[in-house]
Amino acid sequence: MKRVSRIAAIILTIALLLSLVGCGASDGKTHLTFQIWDVAQRNAMQAICDAYTAQHPDVVIEVQVTSWNEYWTKLEAAAESNTMPDIFWMHTNQILYYSDFGMLADVTDLYADEDPNYYANHFSEISIANAQGSNGRMYGVPKDKDNIFLVYNKEMFDQAGVSYPDESWTWDDLVSASQQIYDKTGKYGYMAYNDDQMGYWSFVYQAGGYILTEDKTRAGFDQEGTKKGMEFYVGLQNYDWCPNQAYFAETAPGTAFFSEVGAMYIEGNWELMNKAVNFPNMEGKWDIAVMPRCPDPVSGDGRATISNGLCYSTAARGKTLEIALDVLKFFGTEQAQLIASSYGAAISAYNGTEQPYFDAFEKAGYDLNVSIVMDQFDYGVQNVNNAARPKWKSPVLDEMNKVYNGQQSLDSALANMQQIVDTETAKKLAGN
Amino acid sequence: MNKSIKLSLTARQEEHWGWIMVAPTIIGLIVLNLWPFIQTLYTSFCEHLGFGHYKFIGLQNYIEMFQNAEFWRATWNTVLFCILTVPLGLFLSLLVAMLLNAKIKGKGIFRTIFFLPMVCAPAAVTMVWRWIFNGEYGILNQLLGAHVGWITDPNFVMISCAIVAIWSNIGYDAVLLLAGLQNISKSYYEAASIDGAGKVRQFFSITLPMVSPTLFVVMIMRLMASIKVYDLIYMMVEDTNPAVTSVQSLMYLFYRESFVAGSRGSGSAIVIWTVVLIGLVTIIQFVGQKKWVNYDV
Repeated sequence: MKRVSRIAAIILTIALLLSLVGCGASDGKTHLTFQIWDVAQRNAMQAICDAYTAQHPDVVIEVQVTSWNEYWTKLEAAAESNTMPDIFWMHTNQILYYSDFGMLADVTDLYADEDPNYYANHFSEISIANAQGSNGRMYGVPKDKDNIFLVYNKEMFDQAGVSYPDESWTWDDLVSASQQIYDKTGKYGYMAYNDDQMGYWSFVYQAGGYILTEDKTRAGFDQEGTKKGMEFYVGLQNYDWCPNQAYFAETAPGTAFFSEVGAMYIEGNWELMNKAVNFPNMEGKWDIAVMPRCPDPVSGDGRATISNGLCYSTAARGKTLEIALDVLKFFGTEQAQLIASSYGAAISAYNGTEQPYFDAFEKAGYDLNVSIVMDQFDYGVQNVNNAARPKWKSPVLDEMNKVYNGQQSLDSALANMQQIVDTETAKKLAGN
Repeated sequence: MNKSIKLSLTARQEEHWGWIMVAPTIIGLIVLNLWPFIQTLYTSFCEHLGFGHYKFIGLQNYIEMFQNAEFWRATWNTVLFCILTVPLGLFLSLLVAMLLNAKIKGKGIFRTIFFLPMVCAPAAVTMVWRWIFNGEYGILNQLLGAHVGWITDPNFVMISCAIVAIWSNIGYDAVLLLAGLQNISKSYYEAASIDGAGKVRQFFSITLPMVSPTLFVVMIMRLMASIKVYDLIYMMVEDTNPAVTSVQSLMYLFYRESFVAGSRGSGSAIVIWTVVLIGLVTIIQFVGQKKWVNYDV
């Protein structure tokens, strides 16, 4: 009896061990994982993967979507234990942090065999800058480019008898239109949300200020233009037509807009198709326009919009580095970028592959003035970042919260934010 | 002690078996609890440069932490959260337990209903409460006819979180207390009522002393959990919420330091501080229990 149970135990153990071995791929193909954070772009990503695997039947790529917040927690943990996904999206907020620590594969010479100047020949300066590390090397293949603009509710403008926003609009028009809409319809005007990229940054650059110096070593919160832009933006909240920040804590500006409680807000082009598809009852009632300009900037012409872009990256020490690099190389080709654009979720970075993005709206029957997105690239400002950004992002947000709360004046917040960014940046520079 | 006593062969074999039997738990504790704790302690003296690279900086994290106003705010918030949730929560749990112990119809159904919040995922519970508390469309404001920013007004946000915490925990605590109540022999009450003791007198002279060991355990558990509160506040109040500094607990601050800002070192220092805090509170409780907990049944 004892013997039988011992034999049984041994057999069971062996069976368990065998099942562990069985976890590896047994179909002889190379399995790659591709991690992204935007579910709206899943189909586009799947399509370019399919295009690659059609040429390379021995490779299987699985697209995985994780939410934005979890993405970075997971990716960092994976980087520490060298188990990063084979291919993943990289964002300007984080690329310097990852590349400075040697976590990302250098892809500068990826296209050396066909064209040593491949990136410069096919991508814009901003796109290339968004994929570069502090040392100027490329740590990702540019994926897309975006900018932000004004979204407005046509019905509310009609009811209030105000003409639609256009290129001539300045900050003053934004304020007066909001006031009229509020007076006539009782709806909110422009919904000024406490955010950096989707909020005050554009206004700071329009006013001729800046958040970081060009070499990214110092903050610009002490600049006259910066102060002007932020004073205007923060001041918007004092008008009756603008909901306060407590409101936005429960209702995002986009949600408020598509529930028809507010007439205007700022959105990025990556959300357009998603919004159009998800709010069919709003079809024909809304449109988009360029960012209003600063009427009396400290310097410049008063125009600016924050332009960002993602890139495709792979781990420097990945187990399937060679194949992953080959996939990245394909993702950066005209063919792949054309496919990605055609889903209307993001404008591909490769010059000349933008059109399918705009066509996608026409094809789907959405009558939106999407061409303004293209025009805005002329005065796009690169999404603000430096290697210390993960460190200063939250503290700066806290300072802004205190301004909106009335716990401190904007002047003292500006001084504090200048100090926070400068200290963290200096620490980072000294450390490397 | 006399070390020269030799154990018999069987006794020694049994000793081996003893070690083998407890090994899974001991190894588990060392690998999963003790070792990470030592690592956390070490990390708290380091600066995290990124991706697992650490630089030893001595007490710098602690010095910065104690100079940080936000840290003291978070400590106060945590203490306030305990003050708001623990006494009231325990009182209500005991009340519910006593009601569920009484002879009423549909006792089983009531017990299930009170235990339900415990079965629901905390994230789902919080989402529902967020909608109840919503300033614009929330049912609470509709019922009250008020316009209160329950989770956005710095004056109310802590109270709102406390309400949800108490609501989620009553069921679990009540079940534990109910078990304690059911251990009390009926004969005490019979004897007391023959002697002419009223219900109130019975409660203070019989029920409370007899249930006090259970009450003590529940209190320790609840207090520890309250000091470590994180998920509820994280789900209720996002970091863009202007009221976040009024409700940010130590563990919330730890999360933001360690995982949002990537400063594992100062995050670990906050954790060590929290451990010290829990240790202190627990010591005080164990000393204090001698005054009120009754172990003679």
